[in-house]
Amino acid sequence: MSEVTYLEAISQAIREEMRRDEAVFLLGEDVGTYGGAFKVSAGFLEEFGPERVIDTPMSEAAIIGSAVGAALMGMRPIAEMQFIDFIASGFDQIINMASKMYWRSGMPVPMVVRGPSGGGTKGGPFHSASPEAWFFHTPGIKVVVPATAYDAKGLLKAAIRDNNPVLYLEHKLLYRMPELREELPAEDYVVPIGKAVVRREGQDMTILTYGAMVHQSLKAAQTLEEEDDLEVEVLDLRSLAPLDREAILESVKRTNKVLIVHEDTLTGGIGAELAAILSEDLFEYLDGPITRVAAPDAPFPYAPPLEAAYLPDEEKILTAARKLAAY
Amino acid sequence: MATPVKMPRLGESVAEGTVANWLKKEGDWVERDESLAEIITDKINAELPSPVAGRLTKILVKADETVPVGVDIALIEENADVTASPPAEAAPGPDAAPVETPNQATIPVIEQRTVAPAGGNGASAVPQQARPERIGEEERQRISPLARRLAREHDIDLNAIAGTGIGGRVRRDDILAYIAARSQREPVTAAAAVTQAAAPARPAPPTPPPPAVPSAPSMKPEPAPAAPPAPTVAGEDEEVVTPSRMRLAIAEHMVRSKRTSPHATTVVEVDMTNIAKWLEKHKDEFKKREGYGISFVPFVMKAVCEGIRQVPLMNSSWTEDNKIIIKKRINLGIAVATDLGLVVPTIHDADQYTIAGLAKQVAAVAQRARANKLTIQDMQGSTFVVNNPGTFGTIISVPIINQPHAGILSMDAVVKRPVVIEDDAIAVRSMMYLCLSFDHRILDGAGAASFLQAVRTKLQSYGREIDVY
Repeated sequence: MSEVTYLEAISQAIREEMRRDEAVFLLGEDVGTYGGAFKVSAGFLEEFGPERVIDTPMSEAAIIGSAVGAALMGMRPIAEMQFIDFIASGFDQIINMASKMYWRSGMPVPMVVRGPSGGGTKGGPFHSASPEAWFFHTPGIKVVVPATAYDAKGLLKAAIRDNNPVLYLEHKLLYRMPELREELPAEDYVVPIGKAVVRREGQDMTILTYGAMVHQSLKAAQTLEEEDDLEVEVLDLRSLAPLDREAILESVKRTNKVLIVHEDTLTGGIGAELAAILSEDLFEYLDGPITRVAAPDAPFPYAPPLEAAYLPDEEKILTAARKLAAY
Repeated sequence: MATPVKMPRLGESVAEGTVANWLKKEGDWVERDESLAEIITDKINAELPSPVAGRLTKILVKADETVPVGVDIALIEENADVTASPPAEAAPGPDAAPVETPNQATIPVIEQRTVAPAGGNGASAVPQQARPERIGEEERQRISPLARRLAREHDIDLNAIAGTGIGGRVRRDDILAYIAARSQREPVTAAAAVTQAAAPARPAPPTPPPPAVPSAPSMKPEPAPAAPPAPTVAGEDEEVVTPSRMRLAIAEHMVRSKRTSPHATTVVEVDMTNIAKWLEKHKDEFKKREGYGISFVPFVMKAVCEGIRQVPLMNSSWTEDNKIIIKKRINLGIAVATDLGLVVPTIHDADQYTIAGLAKQVAAVAQRARANKLTIQDMQGSTFVVNNPGTFGTIISVPIINQPHAGILSMDAVVKRPVVIEDDAIAVRSMMYLCLSFDHRILDGAGAASFLQAVRTKLQSYGREIDVY
């Protein structure tokens, strides 16, 4: 077995699911002939044909709307957003159709909306979005964010097999990152939605994070061990909706201090909800303020120095963690 | 609107203070920052500056009363116009402050809470017991939610704990350390309580009923202060003296120090002849010129800095979690005897001064100590203490460490003695013993001895001409 990248893991998941289940199909801009903007679906058209690998017009409303319709008719569509930023154009179909359909009419909508999210690639304000909070807020949608190749494959398979609409946010910075290459199990596997995973154990503080920030947090945790003699636990949430409350509460109850790190902007972000949960459930277990590290409340900048200043990184995590440790 | 004047927090761990004296009477006009009263705590005495300009309309806490930090002790009317103010005629002296306000009734009489009861303190105090605890906890702002819960669960008075978080915040680890320390102490106090109970020989007056906290039948072991010793009664040919707060603080510190650090003491003999001769010759002129005196003390301090540079462990602390913290700054405490007792103000960064500079600093802190004007700054941050009982003529002393230091050095009297010098000749030299008590957890005899060697070498390195600048 060879090691695969995060991107190849996504590709494998779709291919294997399409082979396993005829109801699974892929639609989106340039997913067919071109093989996808990032080559996730390279070779798919040849293997599965134009009925299951559908190049669509440039309309996210149409892509997602078609997927909702297909799902209602018993298919399991995977709708690709060329960049996740464009999901806003299909917002209505997700919020008003996909999320409410089962609630309203008892008809399940088994579909996946997926696409490259996140910044750090100098993509500017229209190619760097972290849109999770918009959907996290909406009942009826699941939201998952893989941080490793293993999870990228396992979570996508779980998403495809789920009977609810699932927003699957892949991070484009991780696509071909060499250090994320790993050997994946030969046999079929899924990573269950709603289960967080401890990436690093520690007693002095918990970092709650997901996506690309898992890796920045792990670097910071390593530095904190070496330079500050602090043992920091890093919990990769993996699934934002539903949240793994059990894992979150268990960890923070043990460490008594919590730092929340996300790439999305601060206000009304995932961190705000996590903070509220912790404050409600664990107030008397907290030995310091629930602290957030997130992007500032501003549109994503284009200029590279501004982008660097904007994105949370190891340095910003270290600063916050040290302050919290000393609190 | 009257502005309340609150009992200040004089030092991070200080929870209460006593009004020693009111420097202003009710009806007096005070400027902002003008001294209102003298405040005494077990750590420091200080004058309390007025927070605003205005008329002192009400004194709420009488002289000699002790109240928790943050309690209103007086009211100042900022806009009080002169005519409308209450007549200053027959203005009550500090001792006559009215006691009737409802606020006042809740002010606890402290002697009961921290200091061991020195004598049955009147029944009137009993019904007030419930409140002070609450004031104390509210006042103590910096407590993590977890620490607060743990303190409640373990029945800990948060005011008894010095926080190690930012701004002195009490955190989880502070509580856990306190619990660990307490569990080591507990058998001792329990034993003490038993001895007391088993010794009914004393004609103990009926013990006052326990404070009226409703949970009377609680079988939970109370924290240490809940078991007061039977009051001491003077027998025939005896007199009971109630120690001052300072005496009590010293007593507590000495007991704690001996219990905390395994003391070992080691002594070297130093030939101070050249320094003695220099002092004899230049002392008066120096004082005339500089306006402050010079003695052996700054020379020894200078040498101690040299010793610490060579043996940095001498400038360290053993921590509760079994680590050693080496202090990079050399802040020398210098023991000063005052009328009230011993105080140990700090000369920060002592290694940065010349001998004359140290003499000046010593003179300044000693003067402040004797005038009762030491600041909080003066009383904080020392890392090692130099003590000079030699001024009282002692020749060998065994000092007790000022916690949490690694050691303390006593310099004893410089006396002329016949000494065998080079080539087996006998000469009359000015000799002094330097006695070092050190914390044997931190270093051993060898380390202590090399420190003393370095100090001695430095002191003996001076020739006839000494540049003290």
